[in-house]
Amino acid sequence: MALLEIRNIYKNFGGIKAINDFSLVANKGEIHGIIGPNGAGKTTIFNTVTGIYNADKGEIFLDGKDITNLPQYQITRLGIARTFQNIRLFSGLTVEENILCAFDFMCKYNLIGGLFPTKLRFKEEKRARELCRNYLEIFGMLEYINEKPENLSYGNQRKVEIARALMCEPKILLLDEPAAGLTPTEVSELTDLLKYVSKKFGFAVLLIEHRLDLVMSICEKIHVLNFGETIAVGTAEEVQNDPKVIEAYLGVEE
Amino acid sequence: MSLQILVNGIATGSVYALIAIGFALVFNILKFSNFSYGATMTVSAFTAYFLVASKGFGLIPTLLVSATAGAIVSLFGEFVGFRRILLNNSPTTYFFVSSITLATLYEGLVTIKVGASFFRYPDFFSVSTLNFAGTVISKSDIIMFIISAIALGILAVIIQKTRIGRALRAVSFDREAAQLMGINSTLIIQITFVLSGIFAGLAGCFLGIKYTLTPTLGSLVVKGFISSVIGGLGSLVGAVVGAMLLGIAEAICLKIFGSGWATIVTFAIMLLFLLIRPQGIAGSNVQEKA
Amino acid sequence: MALFINVLTQVCITLVAVCGIYVLTGLTGMFSLGSAAFMAIGAYASGLITIKLGLPIIVSFILAILMAVVVGFVIGLPVVKLRRDYISLVTLGFGESIAQLLIQMNYLTGGANGLLGIPRKVKWPIALASAIVSITLVAMFKRSKYGRQCIAVKSDELAAEAMGIDSSRIKMIAFLLSCALTAFAGCLYSFYMGYVDPGIFGWKKSADWVIMVFFGGVNSLTGSIFGATILSALPQFMRSLRDYRYVVYAVMVVLIINFKPNGLLGEWELTPTHIKETFKKIKNKFNRNSKES
Repeated sequence: MALLEIRNIYKNFGGIKAINDFSLVANKGEIHGIIGPNGAGKTTIFNTVTGIYNADKGEIFLDGKDITNLPQYQITRLGIARTFQNIRLFSGLTVEENILCAFDFMCKYNLIGGLFPTKLRFKEEKRARELCRNYLEIFGMLEYINEKPENLSYGNQRKVEIARALMCEPKILLLDEPAAGLTPTEVSELTDLLKYVSKKFGFAVLLIEHRLDLVMSICEKIHVLNFGETIAVGTAEEVQNDPKVIEAYLGVEE
Repeated sequence: MSLQILVNGIATGSVYALIAIGFALVFNILKFSNFSYGATMTVSAFTAYFLVASKGFGLIPTLLVSATAGAIVSLFGEFVGFRRILLNNSPTTYFFVSSITLATLYEGLVTIKVGASFFRYPDFFSVSTLNFAGTVISKSDIIMFIISAIALGILAVIIQKTRIGRALRAVSFDREAAQLMGINSTLIIQITFVLSGIFAGLAGCFLGIKYTLTPTLGSLVVKGFISSVIGGLGSLVGAVVGAMLLGIAEAICLKIFGSGWATIVTFAIMLLFLLIRPQGIAGSNVQEKA
Repeated sequence: MALFINVLTQVCITLVAVCGIYVLTGLTGMFSLGSAAFMAIGAYASGLITIKLGLPIIVSFILAILMAVVVGFVIGLPVVKLRRDYISLVTLGFGESIAQLLIQMNYLTGGANGLLGIPRKVKWPIALASAIVSITLVAMFKRSKYGRQCIAVKSDELAAEAMGIDSSRIKMIAFLLSCALTAFAGCLYSFYMGYVDPGIFGWKKSADWVIMVFFGGVNSLTGSIFGATILSALPQFMRSLRDYRYVVYAVMVVLIINFKPNGLLGEWELTPTHIKETFKKIKNKFNRNSKES
């Protein structure tokens, strides 16, 4: 049974067919890429899978369970975490607190612990903070643990966002243009990190990207979208040589 | 019998319409509830009283002074209370806080001048009531209805037919895009506040005529909120329609329940709309973006 | 001296309520104009239970707070699902209705004349202790996972949901906590004054509290407490200015909103981390100045 199965989903906005029959099957440890020109519907797919939008047609299965029209937070708790195209870190919280938030639904104390200094609260908070430090260490961001996110560089904010998503202990990680705005050095750092992290924690990754160097180097399977339609699916080699893909990106010779 | 209620309702409704439209104008363009609107009404009404009415002038001069005072106060409020918040792109809650503080300020100023006593506008009309088809209509109600209708009509023309009106509609739809199209959003916002202030002045004056002039006159601004909610927040037509319906509903409730329960029932109506049909009757814009 | 004690007691009671408002508006970003109605429920319920049923005060307090929480739950169900802008109007509607309802229930509550004859058992030590307890509870709440989630939801509800936070649930928790605290303030109030004046529980009162939170620093508990203390104590001490005091009050707030929109204290909290930071900043400035000279 596949980890994630997206079956023939459609999503319309008014008259616009944002997603026109998209399907994808991902297994543990696989990294899939979703590429296409702007407006092709890539983020809409993420939004539909994570429950921000409801699919008009089609189903989504996580580990065999139908998650198609569940509320967002439930889908996350079942094992899908994501990052956003425009970084959405929580202002008013430090880096550490941002990351701790993603763990909170697994935090076992209740309102009594929230108001009073109970033993359970101390234990759980300690556990959460340790996990948080682990992730920050992996990303080399431990020194920024008490910083406010708005004081960090763009690349560092990205790392925090990914660390935060990892804190949800997902089975599937959805990354929306993680390399956007990064320098070439940062991109290669990110590539190594993603490879390491997905092997170490064993989840599947869906990656939306425009940086084709990143996509081609780490994705086992690539889906190419244009105007909501899937125009090609295959390995990096296959997709690079597909005439339809070339036409979508570069146009046809007159 | 019921015709009387209808007449009473329409009379009240026409005053509520003035409150609602001034309130809706600002909500439309800035997407927040201007809680200082009520106090603006109070200040304008009192200014008109002291400058004009108590000196023996008639209705029209009083209205003019009141409207002008309202416009000035409103503009002042925009500059002192809201301009910075707009420029800083602060979250909407700051508008609320600022507007409520302005309300306290205005009411405080009026209280200083006036204390807790209440005043009455002198009788502007010679014969106070008319009998028509078995109902009693007060002359003041008729005149207020006519003047409201005229003011609303003029506003409608401005919004629909003039360049300024178009610019206003553009800015309320998307402030930044309008700015990019060359519309001076700040100026348009100022104009909106001036228009809103004019209606505040008219409404305040009418409320002063209909009831009495006290520093707490402004709390009737709640009727404006409720009317806007019923009619559809953000819709100008809706505000007027909502106000009329509210006036009539209140008249009916007053008859059946008496004044205490009538307040509760009107709030209950507002709550029903907010919870079941938040777009109100006009069913206007503003969807939650993903 | 007596004036000081009176002011202290009243300020402490206000602080209890403001703690509740901080949780609701400061932490979670929900703007309510009906909070005073919960103070009314607390005040009337506790007063009535003691007078009519003769139960001890602690029991009346607990029952009154429970009642407020139940009402809060019923109101909260639609409120937490609403858009931010509508919350203020809905809470306004509920608040005014409840306040009016309490006046209508003449036979029980004494109507427009208020509820009289409540034993005046609350003096300044109880008020002060209550304020300290409330502040401590809210500080603990803020540092817990609940506080974090509230701030996350306030900052970006969509992203919060994406991180597994059930935003409706956390909003409800914050709402109920604020109802409980405001009701507690109401209980203290009625047993301090000895009577309940029905006219003070309208939206203006709720708005006053929100202004105090914003004035002192909407993102800071310390700031809110500080702001509340200043704004509730000042009018009392300015009695000689009579009606001008409201004008001064309003001018102060307008200035802060314009020039320091994050409030007097901004995001500063009275915690070891922040105090250390502030000392460091002062030291750095001092070093820089002495180097230049």
